[in-house]
Amino acid sequence: MITFRKPIEGVERPQMPADVVIVGGGPAGMACALRLAQLIDEHNNAHPDAQLSKENIYVLEKAREVGQHCLSGALLDPRAIAELLPDFKKDAPLDAEVTKEAVYFFTEKSKFKFPITPPFLRDHGNYVISLNKFVKWMGSKVEQAGVTIFTGFAGSELLYDGDRVNGVRTDDKGVDKEGHQKSNFEPGYDLQAKVVILAEGPRGSLTKQLVQKFDLAKNANPQTYGVGVKELWEVPAGRIAAGEVIYTMGWPLTTREYGGAWIYGSPGHGTTDNIVSLGFVTGLDYADPRLDPQRVLQQFKKHPFVAKLLEGGKMIRYGAKSMPYGGWWAIPPVAGDGWMLIGDTAGFLNSARLKGIHLAIKSGMLAAETAFHALMKNDSSAATLGDFQKTVDSSWIKEELWKYRNLHQGFEHGMLAGMFHTGLQMITGGRGLRNRYTGVAGYERMKKLSQLPADGGAEAHLLGPAKGDGKLTFDKLTDLYHSGTKHEEDQPAHLVIHDTNVCNERCVKEYGSPCQNFCPANVYEMVDDSSQPNGKRISLNPSNCVHCKTCDIQDPYQIITWVPPEGGGGPNYDGM
Amino acid sequence: MAARSPPLKILVCMKQVPQKDAPLKLNESGTWIREDVSYEVNEPDAYALEEALRQREKHKGEVVVITSGPARAQQVLREALAKGADRAIHLEDDKFVGLDAFNTAKAIAAAIKDEQFDLIFTGLQSDDYGYAQTGVILAELLGWPHATIIMQIEKNDTGIRVKRELEAGYFQFVDMPTPAVLTIQSGINKLRYATLIGIKQAKTKPLRKVTLGEVQSAIGENLQKIEKLYVPQKTKKTEHIEGPPAEIAKKLVDKLRNELRVL
Amino acid sequence: MPDTILVVVEQREGKLNRVSWETITAGQAIAAATGWTLEAAVVGAAAAAPEVAAKKVAKVYAIESARLNPYTPDAFAAALKQFLSSKPPKLILMPHTYQVRDFVPKLATAMGRTVISDCIGFKHESGKLLFTRQMFQGKLAADVSFSSDAPWFATFQNGAFRGDKAEEGASAAAVETVNVDIADGVIRNNPQEIFKEAKQAVDLTQAEVIVAVGRGIKEQKNIEIAKQLADALGGDLAASRPICDSGWLPMDRQIGSSGQTVAPKLYLALGISGAIQHIVGMKGSRTIIAVNKDSEAPIFELADYAVVGNLFDIVPPLIEEVKKAKAGS
Repeated sequence: MITFRKPIEGVERPQMPADVVIVGGGPAGMACALRLAQLIDEHNNAHPDAQLSKENIYVLEKAREVGQHCLSGALLDPRAIAELLPDFKKDAPLDAEVTKEAVYFFTEKSKFKFPITPPFLRDHGNYVISLNKFVKWMGSKVEQAGVTIFTGFAGSELLYDGDRVNGVRTDDKGVDKEGHQKSNFEPGYDLQAKVVILAEGPRGSLTKQLVQKFDLAKNANPQTYGVGVKELWEVPAGRIAAGEVIYTMGWPLTTREYGGAWIYGSPGHGTTDNIVSLGFVTGLDYADPRLDPQRVLQQFKKHPFVAKLLEGGKMIRYGAKSMPYGGWWAIPPVAGDGWMLIGDTAGFLNSARLKGIHLAIKSGMLAAETAFHALMKNDSSAATLGDFQKTVDSSWIKEELWKYRNLHQGFEHGMLAGMFHTGLQMITGGRGLRNRYTGVAGYERMKKLSQLPADGGAEAHLLGPAKGDGKLTFDKLTDLYHSGTKHEEDQPAHLVIHDTNVCNERCVKEYGSPCQNFCPANVYEMVDDSSQPNGKRISLNPSNCVHCKTCDIQDPYQIITWVPPEGGGGPNYDGM
Repeated sequence: MAARSPPLKILVCMKQVPQKDAPLKLNESGTWIREDVSYEVNEPDAYALEEALRQREKHKGEVVVITSGPARAQQVLREALAKGADRAIHLEDDKFVGLDAFNTAKAIAAAIKDEQFDLIFTGLQSDDYGYAQTGVILAELLGWPHATIIMQIEKNDTGIRVKRELEAGYFQFVDMPTPAVLTIQSGINKLRYATLIGIKQAKTKPLRKVTLGEVQSAIGENLQKIEKLYVPQKTKKTEHIEGPPAEIAKKLVDKLRNELRVL
Repeated sequence: MPDTILVVVEQREGKLNRVSWETITAGQAIAAATGWTLEAAVVGAAAAAPEVAAKKVAKVYAIESARLNPYTPDAFAAALKQFLSSKPPKLILMPHTYQVRDFVPKLATAMGRTVISDCIGFKHESGKLLFTRQMFQGKLAADVSFSSDAPWFATFQNGAFRGDKAEEGASAAAVETVNVDIADGVIRNNPQEIFKEAKQAVDLTQAEVIVAVGRGIKEQKNIEIAKQLADALGGDLAASRPICDSGWLPMDRQIGSSGQTVAPKLYLALGISGAIQHIVGMKGSRTIIAVNKDSEAPIFELADYAVVGNLFDIVPPLIEEVKKAKAGS
């Protein structure tokens, strides 16, 4: 019997008033906090008799340390950070300026280079960064600016007053596996906030609650996602240049799957090596439930080009994270009565350019401006916060995302169709065949086993767990060890499965328990249990979780809800 | 010895160490690790702090935390203040990292020379060096009694009664006068969480910085030196034991008895 | 006069603590490498001196005072300081026991010296004596030297040397009683009787023999045979993570990155595949015996002795053979 995490009932919670609570300390949340501090400082300098305080502005970050849960390739388009901190180049941790880029189409044994890099993949002027290091740096700026970042605290529930969001409840700490209070139990705080800004990253859990409660997505396309599985490698010098960017499409995916890989070179330590960031993004709309995204990455590394790059190198870190692909049409309303959504949680990611950090930062800045006005007016109603929607609409966020608003949907019928649509969209300013291509949530495209060839057909090499040779390729558990993920063991399971009978009685037969495959962290396992009708029972290893949210997204029955585990737990994405 | 009346003034010595799972790399000279790892509080010290906070809850008083290390070590003090410590002392300098236990204890003793603590707690040992010496050395430098691997502390009329853990499941109570130094066993209590209020309040609690220069006259050269730090090489040859189960059993027992001396 | 090495042995419950023989072995090895003379001392346990004198040591000192019993760090430090000041050896060796940890840093500090503690070996290179110890919980090793004058203090980890390899002396060494004077007021601690208590939590880090089970044990009821093997060997039962997660064994029996890290004399892995999360918790074990059906299980890369086979076929006869061997000896 698994006990699932939920807020403890009947316990008195400490109350703490706040002006603004930002849930999530990633690039969006940090940019928002910093911009807000800047606006308040400017105001205070100009109005010494009417000072605004920064004392009650909080960032809630579930990781033990700032940046620990941040993972991305990453390539930074400096446009937004330059607006936020004009002299960012002085001390921002930029690994390398992009010097060289190439896009390849892979077959199993060979590759074809695109003669021209598609405009949306051109990276001149961009930087190879480690998002983890970058966010750490942003965090130090936020703290210097006088805003409090609470690390090790997750936002577990939104607080409402009727239809108004009026606060955030933090996680209960010290709850045991059966849901009982341990001797060091600390109830979550109720932060009563004038403005709540959700910056939770892709598939935010509070965002999900909010969207469901107010049916916010009713006019939007369903959000679609990809999952990026990444490894950081140390390779001998000379294989790749710092600032070299490579994108690949094709193998190991077939024309039926959406996805591709990245390889970025960074300087290593000293002159003896380079750091290589490589990863594979698999669209979470594939058909075969047996597909395993971590295996896809291992297959990718076997390609002669990649194998040669990594030979003799050492894998130093592993991680995974989902990302929103749906584009402009999948973004729900981003402001309401007492709340705003920024960054990936809203869906501000350019899936053509594969970049979202600059959009996250810009959206955070715009939200900060609206929040500032709300504080000045002492009014955070939907009318006032609705300004954020307007400023986004008239900013370069929309300008950029508008061009690619139909990109991902165009791939609904495979790669060739997708390339056709993309080509068309490029010459029509993103319109393509019609202004708005609709979309379908990715999990709906998952087929049942009965509809697929037993041996997997052309996708066979992507299905099931990777075995790994221990040098170039790795099995999931070995990879997982290098994510540094750790949680308090004695706590309820934070992967809330609403009806485990579905897992044990239906899913085993219909889909073959795809959770075992799509989770990059071995959280889900079907174990033998003779008392079950199919002889198997769902078993969880919640402390393996890397907080990627793939399960919440991809489960075909949509009965999994990811909620934050006790704050402080999760992966350790040092350098990622 | 003059009897000390309640409340209790307790100093907790805390150390920042590389995170337990952090992949460690050797520095250029092979004498220390590269500093670019993640750090955390030495786990045994977290238990020492917890015990100090519990004693203060029982007897009232003050809990002061001290650490010696670079600027990054301040994090350990901040976390301790967030959990409820009253004030902090930071012996701040990069060079503190290279001091041996003897000199670290001397630096601490110098930094606290104007204070009057009733008890000084340290963790059992550090997760990086694992020497288990600093607390005992500090006691000798201060001329105080001490006890190690302590599970329980109770105040009484003559001082304190502590429960010492011994090997093989044995324990011992010891009566001692205060002031005293105690090294605290890990896992004796559940560690409390810092609360949001605690974290906010920590920002305004006193944090005194002590420079290397201020304690320079108290410390001297290190009395021992790490000549080389390296990854231990395992030269392992796996011997396969084969045959039917009964034979395997006999062969194994033979090994256990004659080679491994386990039987 | 050649330099001397002094091994200070430890008594427990009136008998010599077994681990003292390991320190004698260490002392003999260093003496052989350096050419220094090996002597030994017993503190407050004169009755144990003859046993020590039977080993190959040049001399045994019985340091005596009524105030040495019961043990207190004040008394031991004072007594040894007095003795060592009169006859300073070059090197003083002790086993790294709880008791030694309790007083030797105090003793060294009182003499203005230092201790290299918890060593696992030594090196004698170009006339320099180096002591090897584990750092960062076994991830790295360090060779440490003394930069101070003698006397030097070093303590050795349990199991670093073989107690049974301590050489016997050709004839019994001379035993000299040294009466030391511990003044009033030196001893401040007042220890009570030691007592045994059922330990609340299992501390596998102290076990010398561990029998660990993994997924290969298949069902909870099968753990019984592993327990029988552990009992027969006088060891402790432990498990990899999945076993504890299923509740088949309590969490405090878990070995691995989310459990305990152990380095016993013998680690017997039954049905454990050897995932890295488990390996990091036991790779420091002196000897590893692995039993697994899968010849490619990663645990075999780490094992000293590999048995590829079905643990249910192998463990029962193994238990019998162990019992026989114990009965016979």
